[in-house]
Amino acid sequence: MMKIYRNLAAGLLIVGLTGCASDIYAPPGSADRRAEPVPQPPTVDESRDDSSPRLSEQPEPRTEPRTPQERSPSPGYQEQGDDLSPAAVSLIQRADALMSEGKPEAALSRLERAQRISPRSAQVYFKLAEAYARSNNLGSAEQFTMKGLSLAGSNTRLQKAGWELLASIRHERGNVAGAEQAEQRARAL
Amino acid sequence: MLLAGWMVYLDAVVTSRFEGRRFEVPSRVYARPLELYDGAAVTAESLKQELELAGYRSGDGSRPGTWQQNGQRFLVGTRGFSFADGIEPRRRLSLNVSGGRVSGLRVLEGESSPIVRLEPAEIGGIYPAHREDRVLVTLDDAPPLFEEALLTTEDRNFYEHFGIAPLSIARAMVANIKAGRVVQGGSTLTQQLAKNLYLTRDQTLVRKANEALMSLLLEWHYEKDDILETYLNEVYLGQAGNRSINGFGLASQFYFRKRFQDLELHESALLVGMVKGPSYYDPRRNPERALQRRNLVIDLLADAGTIDTTQAEKARAKPLDVAERPSWSENRYPAFIDLVKRHLARDYKQEDLQSEGLRIFTTLHPAIQERAERATAQTLDQLDRGSSDTRLEAAMVVTSRDSGEVLALVGGRDAGFAGFNRALDARRPIGSLVKPFVYLTALAQPERYTLITPLRDVGLALEFENGQRWEPRNFDREQRGDVPLHLALSRSWNLPTVRLGLDVGVPAVVETLQDFGVTSSINRYPSMLLGSVTMEPVTVAQAYQGLATSGFNTPLRTIREVTDSKGEALSRYKLEVNQVADPAAVHLVQYAMQEAMREGTGRSAYRSIPESLGLAGKTGTTDDGRDSWFAGFSGDLLAVTWVGRDDNGPTSLTGATGALPLWTRFMAAVPQHSFSPVVPDGVQYHWVNSEKGVLTDEHCENARLIPFIVGSEPQTFEGCGGDFSRRLRGWFEGLFQ
Repeated sequence: MMKIYRNLAAGLLIVGLTGCASDIYAPPGSADRRAEPVPQPPTVDESRDDSSPRLSEQPEPRTEPRTPQERSPSPGYQEQGDDLSPAAVSLIQRADALMSEGKPEAALSRLERAQRISPRSAQVYFKLAEAYARSNNLGSAEQFTMKGLSLAGSNTRLQKAGWELLASIRHERGNVAGAEQAEQRARAL
Repeated sequence: MLLAGWMVYLDAVVTSRFEGRRFEVPSRVYARPLELYDGAAVTAESLKQELELAGYRSGDGSRPGTWQQNGQRFLVGTRGFSFADGIEPRRRLSLNVSGGRVSGLRVLEGESSPIVRLEPAEIGGIYPAHREDRVLVTLDDAPPLFEEALLTTEDRNFYEHFGIAPLSIARAMVANIKAGRVVQGGSTLTQQLAKNLYLTRDQTLVRKANEALMSLLLEWHYEKDDILETYLNEVYLGQAGNRSINGFGLASQFYFRKRFQDLELHESALLVGMVKGPSYYDPRRNPERALQRRNLVIDLLADAGTIDTTQAEKARAKPLDVAERPSWSENRYPAFIDLVKRHLARDYKQEDLQSEGLRIFTTLHPAIQERAERATAQTLDQLDRGSSDTRLEAAMVVTSRDSGEVLALVGGRDAGFAGFNRALDARRPIGSLVKPFVYLTALAQPERYTLITPLRDVGLALEFENGQRWEPRNFDREQRGDVPLHLALSRSWNLPTVRLGLDVGVPAVVETLQDFGVTSSINRYPSMLLGSVTMEPVTVAQAYQGLATSGFNTPLRTIREVTDSKGEALSRYKLEVNQVADPAAVHLVQYAMQEAMREGTGRSAYRSIPESLGLAGKTGTTDDGRDSWFAGFSGDLLAVTWVGRDDNGPTSLTGATGALPLWTRFMAAVPQHSFSPVVPDGVQYHWVNSEKGVLTDEHCENARLIPFIVGSEPQTFEGCGGDFSRRLRGWFEGLFQ
């Protein structure tokens, strides 16, 4: 079990406070809104002809299609998860202190608060996995590790930490093949 | 002898009722506490609403329970709260709120911390059948001068007498005779308690005698402080609808939206004065009378020398300070509390919930709930005006995308009405909301399907063994030949979906739905591929949670924690995640669901939401517009909306004209982050021409950047040549005709 914590300690020094916070949408009407084009209130399309019987499907959009030259914004994606916010970091530090006092259950509630604040950061899930591993709930530990890995994206440091963590947990659960697979992933990075 | 027997009987009554009443306390239900930290998504409007709901008042922002706004800057004096995981101490805060987020949070006084939790707003209770309510207080909770005010006014010799005070009775009689009416009561606090606890209100001598006997017995059994404390929690102080306001704890909430502990002298004096006649001196209905009575109590304190004349004058000069609306009337959010109760019923007995004084910490987000209710009311009003439909109804479920916490729940048009909860109980066919699961089932086989796999958009007829024929059609009755898979989903075309679903097999699609948390039975007819399967809005939200979080099923929760009345944790309901699908395949479905918002069936959302906010979603409509659905998510929120009729009658709506405007109106009103999924392991984006199924150059006319599971991307490349582009334009024109 100790191996799990060493891996975490090595891979998960919580850094990245300097990362830019992702942009937030501020609704109109609030005086504090940043300058943005004021959108129109939603309208209900009342122009539709409802005389024909309805089949079970959607209407075609009425508005003119965009020409290829004025492509609508493409679906968004990002290569890496978000950085932890400083508030989440402070909660994780408190959780770390509780874990080192042997109180992983108490740490969990801090970590869940951190998760609500930085839900798109891989680290917070790895920390949850650590707390579950320490309270000997290896099933949850494995799930949270995988959730963290799904947010690690192209960050090889986090990928490596996650795969190593997963390998330790699987090892502990007696899943030798799964552990080896995870170790291979970690080594390949 | 008879008297002795009667005494034994009364004694048994006294002890059992006294003990019983002391501990019968309803469970209190709290909203999630607002967490303030730099970067927290909060608008000035929602902050003020949350503060008000948590019982704060506009003031100097330095005293506990007050706030002050100065432009973007807020000062807040928190009261502190004992959470199950520790105490959040009293603090003085300064923070800026702009652009939908908090910045510059500083703790001016109190333990410093980069993150501060406000006290959670109390949003309701789970009451015993007789609908009385309690906010239990102890003697130690009493604010300064409260006990003096109470005893001076109601029972000066409380600590000396033995339950009854013949002298006081005599004094009262004299005073009453002098005045020619009843101006003073001679009852001790103990007698008043006996009256409240045990007896009916008829004025007879027998009752008076019983009351006196019981008072003696109470004094004999219990310490003065126990009696006084029980009195504080029992005394009748008003009426809210069919619920009586008993006890100073509840009365402080009810009249001042304050904790008992935080009452100031003039407020204490008012409550003490009201003991004599809660309805006669009701400060909301009879403010003049109440003010006179309050000032009389202040004078009594001054006469007794408990306060000096300056204190008395200052207190007398204050207005009544009664909160305009009670801090609650009935449960404010009946639909949400309904779901809380159902979740609680898994672990707790009804009697315990009604009497053990449990504290239930929920996930309700008051500002989001308020916006969901408002969006529902406004959208339905607008739909009413635009059509002859008989009364439309609606339901809405909002969850936190990554935690599965239910943030808001709307059970119908009239959110304050605790009637049929459509969010939980309206089981309806989900129409095209099922399609992402059909496509996910296919895309999980990258060797067979990618986002650009051509699907046949050509009519088909299925004949069943019983001779019935099923001939699905597209909504617009068009047939388009071959269409790329991502367009078939983002445009919600039926024919390619049915063909794809039959290809992967209906049982495989059913299995996907079950993996995503649908536990109710799902029919296995091919028509389920177009959504003949029925679900409640809350079930749809559960299933979409996994789509929104890259394949992790996250059970919906309404409760974080239940503690006993002293704050000791009884149960915690933890965040759970369970991977049920390959994140890579889910990522591809999310691509098409984003495309649906940008250019497909959901795009009218961007008429009122700026394009900078990334969203993903899916419309759903059932035959004759009986059900109009929308399910979609941003980076922070997942929301499912339904609009239809209770009698399941036809409407002129589709998903895009009923449920989507509701969803849009709601999303436009909440500060939040874009949906921008992290590219999972094993997925790569390529510029492709999705019609030709080839890699192409970014600058080519209809190049799209599309994600592929590594190895499934096209192997051939085609740049943009001359008359090639003309053909492409032709294709586009055909598509949108």
